[in-house]
Amino acid sequence: MKMEGPQLEILTRRVAECPVDFLAEPRIGAAGSIPVAAIVSDLIRDLGGDPLTLRQSTGFSKGDAKIGRNHLRLVLITCWLFHDPWFLNRKECANLLYLFLTGPLTDLSATTAAEKFVSEPDRREELVRFCLKELDLRPAGETIAQAQDRLATLSTAERRRVIRAAREAEERARAIREAMVRRAADEAAAKASRE
Amino acid sequence: MVETLSETERFPLLTEEGRRLLRRLHENEFAPRYNHHCGDRLTIEGLRRVRDFEIELKSSAQDRHPGDIPSWLLDFTKTCCRDVPHYRGYKANPADFFSIPTCDRSDLSREPWSFVPDTQDLDDLIVYCTSGTTGHPLDVLSHPVVSSMYLPLLRTAAATYGVALEGRQGHVAIVLICFQKSTLTYAAISAYLDQAGLVKINLNPADWRHPADRARFLDACRPEIYTGDPISFMELASLAMQSRPKALLSTAMTLPPRLQKFLEHHFQCPVIDIYSMNEAGPVAVRDGTGHVPLQRRLYIEILDKDGLSCPPGERGEITLSGGFNPYLPLLRYRTGDWARLEYRGTLPVLKDLEGRAPVLFRDARGNVVNSIDISSALKPLALVRFELHQNADGSLRLRMQKGETTPDQVRHAILSLFGDDQKVDVEGMESPCDSPFKVIQYSSDYAF
Repeated sequence: MKMEGPQLEILTRRVAECPVDFLAEPRIGAAGSIPVAAIVSDLIRDLGGDPLTLRQSTGFSKGDAKIGRNHLRLVLITCWLFHDPWFLNRKECANLLYLFLTGPLTDLSATTAAEKFVSEPDRREELVRFCLKELDLRPAGETIAQAQDRLATLSTAERRRVIRAAREAEERARAIREAMVRRAADEAAAKASRE
Repeated sequence: MVETLSETERFPLLTEEGRRLLRRLHENEFAPRYNHHCGDRLTIEGLRRVRDFEIELKSSAQDRHPGDIPSWLLDFTKTCCRDVPHYRGYKANPADFFSIPTCDRSDLSREPWSFVPDTQDLDDLIVYCTSGTTGHPLDVLSHPVVSSMYLPLLRTAAATYGVALEGRQGHVAIVLICFQKSTLTYAAISAYLDQAGLVKINLNPADWRHPADRARFLDACRPEIYTGDPISFMELASLAMQSRPKALLSTAMTLPPRLQKFLEHHFQCPVIDIYSMNEAGPVAVRDGTGHVPLQRRLYIEILDKDGLSCPPGERGEITLSGGFNPYLPLLRYRTGDWARLEYRGTLPVLKDLEGRAPVLFRDARGNVVNSIDISSALKPLALVRFELHQNADGSLRLRMQKGETTPDQVRHAILSLFGDDQKVDVEGMESPCDSPFKVIQYSSDYAF
């Protein structure tokens, strides 16, 4: 966060206005419609870098749909964010972008459904601050301490929500497992055929 | 220790007529040594739900066009993505059905609880611990009403052949036939079938006072319909019975056409092949040229190995969404069975279904061994994956993927079933490869 970046509000508004094309289904195999690799490649070129190699492109179009889909959706939203004139005019982050999209952004995508980074104000701000931090930037007008504190607050709130949801899910799972153990020894109900 | 229910809990709607029939079935001089008690557990509310289910089966159309998504499926998918932990984990867009990841039996086997909706009450939970014909044990969570909902589905399947499953008080409607080392056996009464009897028996002579009692008891029952699998029907055909049923309903394994013809000739009645599984219940009934879907709220897709929809007529894996078990809503569930989906007008039909083929094993003394018994014997072992083949000389070859289980443990389990004289070779096998064909768990050189 050493360098001062763009104004936070401009970027959060940009995310809020993310076009539907960037929210459509990413193409995984033959499913979905948006070729994510092409979008990423165009962005890196627009930022002054070299287009993706064939090997790099593969990572944006294949993989386990259960894991990869939400990540690819978040990649599309993030590409829209980085098309902001502030980044295009400076052409400074092209070299970092591929590593960012395939590394830290994957971790972020594991916490929250991608569309919430557009529809929910706190998640929009978290996404923008997270992206800036990974590029060693901070919002214009903020000190490093302020930027760190605000991102930590947003992340903490989300982490608490995720932890709370996970705890509730685990309690429910445990209740079902206990019921299964009790009922496995009980009479079932008569079936007229077998499988 | 089995928790024993009271008669009222077991049969909430039992009438005096039903009670008399139940007593007759238990006290018949030729009756088997029942080893279990089981009822329909159907309350007034439950009975209403089963009847509503039957009305839906009769009234709603099966019409569908390729690529169509029925409106109920969109609502169902939305609910699954919101309320069911396993599906919620996808973070999928429920409006885009075909982008939703698939799941399979391994997901269900690993975490059956994660398929229970958050909104589903656990008070009525029952558990069927299945060993399976395929060798993959599974605990299926279910509801008493679900078990009774099989009956209108079987009735619909029988009606396809012009057979009416009536269900009359004082009479036995269905006898479920098994032929294996051991299984739960019982007599029950069905409130849905107007207090008619449902009996589950094992034709294994060890379950009876005298082997000839099997035919005598069945003649005394005179059920409208027998249900069972091809192996148990073969044994049924060997009994000297006087009575004849209206139909035989074959489930659990694919019914070979030659055996079907033999059974039809022997019993002089239709022998109806039903594609069915624990996870979804009766799915489809075979008519002249294919298997016609039975359930109205069960969406059938055919997917290729990459999870993409196959066009009509192309072979792929049968994948199911929907169903009638509130503890197990299925969303793009890959069954492991293969077929083509074609359209007869607007009616979807499964063609060339490759389900669970019956496999004939024999022990060291030449007695038939049901693959269900093999699954049961191997169930306590932590086998990741295995294949068992019996050669023409009777020897067995078991190939297993490396895991915690030792070859000696597997050999011991096999010998406990086939006898100490059985020759069995246990070998290792590689991890599963990307085969486009289904895994054949059991195979045998003995002709069926």
